[in-house]
Amino acid sequence: MNIKKQFKEGLITNNPVLVQLIGMCATMAITTTLFNGVGMGLSVLIILTCCNVVVSAIRKIIPNEIRLAIFVVIIAGFVTIVDLLLQAYIPALSEALGVFIPLIVVNCIIIGRAEAFCQKNTIGASFFDGIFQGLGYTVVLIIMCVFRELVGSGKFGTGLIDVANGFKITMDGTGGGIELFSADYGATIMLLPFGGFITLGLLIALMQYMLKKSAKKKEAAAKAVKEGEE
Amino acid sequence: MLTNIISISLGAILVNNFIFSQFLGCCPFLGCSSKVETATGMGIAVVFVMGLASAICWVIDTYILVPLGLDFLKTLAFILVIASLVQFVEMFLKKSIPSLYSALGIYLPLITTNCAVLGVVLLNVQNHYNFIESVVYGITGGLGFMLAIVLFASVRERVQFSEYPECFEGFPICLVSAGLLALAFMGFSGMKIF
Amino acid sequence: MKKILKLTLILFLVSAIVAGVLGVVNEMTKDRIEEQKQIKTAKAYAAVLPSEGYEELEIDTSAYTNIESISKATGGEGYVVQTTFSGAQGNITMVVGVSPDYKCTGISIISHAETSGLGANAASTSDIGVNWRAQFVGQDKNMAITKAGGTIDALTGATITSRSVAEAAANAISVVESLG
Repeated sequence: MNIKKQFKEGLITNNPVLVQLIGMCATMAITTTLFNGVGMGLSVLIILTCCNVVVSAIRKIIPNEIRLAIFVVIIAGFVTIVDLLLQAYIPALSEALGVFIPLIVVNCIIIGRAEAFCQKNTIGASFFDGIFQGLGYTVVLIIMCVFRELVGSGKFGTGLIDVANGFKITMDGTGGGIELFSADYGATIMLLPFGGFITLGLLIALMQYMLKKSAKKKEAAAKAVKEGEE
Repeated sequence: MLTNIISISLGAILVNNFIFSQFLGCCPFLGCSSKVETATGMGIAVVFVMGLASAICWVIDTYILVPLGLDFLKTLAFILVIASLVQFVEMFLKKSIPSLYSALGIYLPLITTNCAVLGVVLLNVQNHYNFIESVVYGITGGLGFMLAIVLFASVRERVQFSEYPECFEGFPICLVSAGLLALAFMGFSGMKIF
Repeated sequence: MKKILKLTLILFLVSAIVAGVLGVVNEMTKDRIEEQKQIKTAKAYAAVLPSEGYEELEIDTSAYTNIESISKATGGEGYVVQTTFSGAQGNITMVVGVSPDYKCTGISIISHAETSGLGANAASTSDIGVNWRAQFVGQDKNMAITKAGGTIDALTGATITSRSVAEAAANAISVVESLG
């Protein structure tokens, strides 16, 4: 396992949302402003990395029969810690994400990685897996947020970027964002559930298109090499 | 009281449908909806577990967690309750109602990671529902999920025979159809009961 | 049997450790969470009815629908009513300022679960939200949105949220008026 390969897997070839198709609920529900997307993505990244490390550290001492139950307890623990910390230090984010923070417990990404990766790999590898898979998740959330926010309300970075007080990044959710065109011309429907489904559908379709294209290219190259040998 | 219950029910089934308006339970919604039959099975299992989980978690929250000031343990406690409840229901059905078990059996383990179930018990606490309201919200939320998944499965059965761009194969076309269904459900959002 | 016991014990042990850690974190963050909530409420109070202090009236709020608390501004500026009611998506908690002549001095939404980009604008700090809430200043207990025959313009695509907020504010004012 090398880090470069893990990086590529997490972000592209084995991206949790676009390729493994897990963790969709929050992906569609909260991606209405960049603030939400970045906040959710980073929360998942932190929880995933912590869980990966712990699960991988205790992988040899937990009995196989109840491993899932133990994973769930550990995940719930980290989720609650993050939930409490957010309530205490970034209340605006905790409010914006609401019930979707505790629901990270049942986000299949975390239990999926624990089961599929950390059980068989060392602590180091699991740590990087957590970071890269978390990054892959965050990147997808950010792409969806930027698209939905722009089309829906003509803005970029609502809640995160404070233009009125001289272009700074805020974490209290009061930033107005950069207005690219008036919200009156925005297609509000993109901010509603319909927009969530459609945007994710288009994104996965694009991913499948690109993966297929690169696979074809490789095939063609391999064929050319083979023909050359003959 | 009665008007309250009716408004919670209609809200959970139509206006704030768990799938189309709150995005809770999307994984099984997309995963178990390729046939109407399996969708119905999954739907019934979810109604069952959501109703039971709402009742048990309400009791645990009101009589154990809140009096002891252990509010912060609720996510942990609820997920453990749901996981053991699912196990228990599975064992119970296997022994006493084998016919129902053979119909629902394979869907039960999947429900543990269904965020609609954990979602409904957390929302019950957040909305300060009493016992009856919690149970009603659990059951009708499940019914809303079932309505959504059955409708969606029928749409998917038709979509199979349609032509669409190659790269939309699989999930993307499902998500697009789900989006159109969500659009239809938006029609209910104008409704306000009482 | 022995094995089941052992497994249960391990699971119990893991849960106990996790619960213990959570207890410590909870202890560490508890005060700060409480503080954040108070700051938020205090800000909302100050926004709707600036005053030096607020004194909560000792009345049985369960006698009135949706009312959580009524506080009197110590300088005689009027009353602040905290009310929780159902919006389009879930409960909305809001404070309403009421002047001594029973007019609304402003509203501020503390928590809500409305649709982002639509109903959520009612609580937003952007121009849309600020301008929309400004319409409530000076309204009396008969206020309503234009669709219901009043003068408050509903937020685009969020008639239900707007209607609920207007009804709740009107209700708050009439409760204060009934107290005299």
